[in-house]
Amino acid sequence: MPKAIAAAIGAYEHQGRRAAVADYDAALMIAFQKGGDLAFQELVERNHPRVIGLAYRFTNNAAEAEDLAQEVFLRIYRARHTYKPTAKFTTWMFRIAANASLNALRARAKRRDDLSMTLLAGEEDHPAGPADAESRSPDHLLHQRDLRDKVREAIQALPEKQQVAVILNKYEGLDHADIARTIGCSTMAVKSLLARARDNLRNRLFRYLGSIPDRPSDV
Amino acid sequence: MASPACHWVRSVLSTYLDGELKSSTAQAVRRHLKHCPSCREHLRQLEETWRLLDEADAPPVRPGFTARMMKRIVEEKAIEQMEARLRPQRLRRRVLRTVTGLAAGLAIGFALYGWTGRPHEPNSPVEREVCRHIAFFEDADLLDKIAVIQAIDQLTHSPGTTNGT
Repeated sequence: MPKAIAAAIGAYEHQGRRAAVADYDAALMIAFQKGGDLAFQELVERNHPRVIGLAYRFTNNAAEAEDLAQEVFLRIYRARHTYKPTAKFTTWMFRIAANASLNALRARAKRRDDLSMTLLAGEEDHPAGPADAESRSPDHLLHQRDLRDKVREAIQALPEKQQVAVILNKYEGLDHADIARTIGCSTMAVKSLLARARDNLRNRLFRYLGSIPDRPSDV
Repeated sequence: MASPACHWVRSVLSTYLDGELKSSTAQAVRRHLKHCPSCREHLRQLEETWRLLDEADAPPVRPGFTARMMKRIVEEKAIEQMEARLRPQRLRRRVLRTVTGLAAGLAIGFALYGWTGRPHEPNSPVEREVCRHIAFFEDADLLDKIAVIQAIDQLTHSPGTTNGT
């Protein structure tokens, strides 16, 4: 491990092992500020699946999600001189990613050919592999594809803030406090956003309730 | 029709599902759910809706993202270096523009002053005489000024001054 990264991480380890693990990304960012390009490379390597994942949840387009992820890391790179580890690195990163994704969606909404592009992207991004075709019946595949599309549409139909809250909570596993920090509102507002989002999703997906086998509840 | 208790429980069910309710509040919700089939059904639907979201595709990640990103960073660095090199030239151009502007402004100012604001040169003997007393006049206090004005008046009206004596 390069010296700069080791030193930055060492500083965090003084604060306790748990903090060192939780803020490893922040330590990498500090190491990068001190001139360690390898630290930035590691930061990208560690976090790009989550950033691409987040962008993809918004855009449903793999190529656009990768472009957005590059944009996010470029913004992080440019902010290297001003970055201060006041919050969790991932909170900051998700805020940049969510804003970039929402901007992309707004730009896309302005374009006339929005619908056709989404449909084309859907065709390209989710080809049914030969293994799927062999192991599952056409009816099942059709139903699953229909359900997948409906779930995607239901999420996209949510108001922007509800959409962000759902994606961060459901797919990124952020708790209410972290979501609040990411989107810049109170924890109470996040609770309210998620409650309204759940009701909206339930109304939109009502027809599909009971179509998937029950799993044991976590609560 | 749902009771006020049902309304309250349904308003906190989402937070309850996320496990973010205070333990005393969560206990109250559980107590209500035990004897309210309608709210239990509501909870089941919310849970199932949340599980349905798992049906959305997993985001595809193309291998080699980090390498592509680092290539872009190399390009970004080249742009930053070019900008840094151009910065002194831009500064020089800006300074040059400012200096040229100031010089042009001064030249125009002087020209206008020469054309409109230049003091009138005394031509006639009377004017020359008056001008000679002006310096003295400027230093004098009010009473002296009156005396000087009278003296100048006399000078200008006396017959000897008309021929320059």
